[in-house]
Amino acid sequence: MYKKILFGALLAALSTQSVNAQEQATSIEDLQKEITALKEELKSYSKKQKENRQDIEDLYDYTEKTETLVLQDKLKLSLGYKVNMDNFSKKLADGTEVRNNSVFSSKFMLNIKADIAENMKFYTRFSMYKYWGNGRVHQYSSYDNMQGRVPSVSTLFVERAYFDWFLNREGKLPFALTIGRLPTSDGPSQQFKANTTRKGTYSALLYDGASDGIVGTINLSKVTNYDGTYLRLGYAKGYLYTEQSPYVTNAFIGTDNKNLKDTDVYGIFLDTKFFGMKRSLIQLSYSKMFNVIANQLDPNSKQNTNLGDFSMYGAMLELNDIKETGLDLFTHFGYSQAYPNGNSYANFGSLLSNANETDQKNGYAVWVGTRYALDKKKTVKLGAEYNHGSKNWTSLTQGAFDFYNKLSTRGDAYEAYLIYEINRNADIRIGYLTIDYKYSKSAWFVGESQEIANLTTKDVDRVDSFYLKMSINY
Amino acid sequence: MKTLKIKLALILLLSISVHAESVEALVKKLKLFPASKAMVQWERVFKSERKMKRYKIANLSMQDRERLEEYLINHAIDSDTPTVAGEI
Repeated sequence: MYKKILFGALLAALSTQSVNAQEQATSIEDLQKEITALKEELKSYSKKQKENRQDIEDLYDYTEKTETLVLQDKLKLSLGYKVNMDNFSKKLADGTEVRNNSVFSSKFMLNIKADIAENMKFYTRFSMYKYWGNGRVHQYSSYDNMQGRVPSVSTLFVERAYFDWFLNREGKLPFALTIGRLPTSDGPSQQFKANTTRKGTYSALLYDGASDGIVGTINLSKVTNYDGTYLRLGYAKGYLYTEQSPYVTNAFIGTDNKNLKDTDVYGIFLDTKFFGMKRSLIQLSYSKMFNVIANQLDPNSKQNTNLGDFSMYGAMLELNDIKETGLDLFTHFGYSQAYPNGNSYANFGSLLSNANETDQKNGYAVWVGTRYALDKKKTVKLGAEYNHGSKNWTSLTQGAFDFYNKLSTRGDAYEAYLIYEINRNADIRIGYLTIDYKYSKSAWFVGESQEIANLTTKDVDRVDSFYLKMSINY
Repeated sequence: MKTLKIKLALILLLSISVHAESVEALVKKLKLFPASKAMVQWERVFKSERKMKRYKIANLSMQDRERLEEYLINHAIDSDTPTVAGEI
């Protein structure tokens, strides 16, 4: 009996062992299969990886080709085009009236930018501004500050050509030197009416035109902890005396005219933000012009002369898109002082004075304006401007884009306009401008200003202008 | 004239209370760089839910999205940039 039990137990143990051995063999087989499958998968992965690597290399080649093309594009071009239709009437001091119902004009601008190096950028603007169907040279378009700024022939003028050279960029006081034909036109707050961003450095009430010079810009933002704070020190050559001798044709510069001195302009400007508002601008300025020349275009005349010195003070505030409501506001103030030296140009008189007078002549001007976007997308904007200039107000805005140089007005000017954006890069503006001149010779440096009401000459008494303008900026 | 003055004052008062957070602050908060893309590329971002999620724009209110889109497009690399001497 005992033997039987022992034999049974042994048999049971042996059968369990064989089942275990069978199970083990199956799991090893499975594992081997899995390993083989994994190996296959790995193989396919590494094949895919190889292919991917190849793709990445191909992609890199293509990207590099694109990069090479981009790097070859050293110049970045953009264009501006304005077409204007003006319908105006002028009332003259003698009681007569001049009308023109369709003065068409076009201004073409080709802008070129170049990143010369990380610390140097170059900018150029070529301009052509002309009346339709008229190729006559504008008598003032040869003045240096008006080239490309007043309607004349279809020639391209270099309105701007300058470079910014940045120094100490990472330091506490970053500094930039701007040298060349400077961005002294279309300054603030002309951009509201033009429906662009700020396109010039200095208040357009005081300066609007081309000029050659050097500007040093110190970025005070880090030191003052106030973003957008810049101090500028500028020098511009208002007039360089040259004489073209009919006998020695190459002796163009360096002749010894004892009567004429170069006109030099020095200025100091401070830009900052209004209580830290990012979309605002405050600008305070002072500039002085030494040895104002009577007539740039008449260097050989013995009657031509330096008339004295001239200085300007300016203050402006501009608030753009206040609290994102689409409301823009601006106000400018200008104060001019003329110091005649008594010299007289022909029979025109001296600096804002009659011949031989040396009394200082002061003038002032204000310019205020607003613009409001009527729709959510800001495609329709309504704007209004007003400016007033006193009897002796004189500005350097002879190169203003508008035909009338309205900001030089010795009197009052009102303007209202409506802008409609056709697309992101084009708009139409319809507007009305009226100028009531109280005193004569607005924007003129030579001779004393007189009350229009007392004159019976061809001086302009009043201008009314309806206009339609279309602009493309791309 | 008096009515006009009152209207202007109302607009000013209204303007002060319209947006609690400026769009510039929103851009900073979202760590977005307007000049990192061209105008068309920003437009593409606002047309794609996936891209808006990537830039954390998807969760913003429709009003903030619109403000942000306008700002980013207006300050894109190919937008109309200011021209001022020597500004860094």
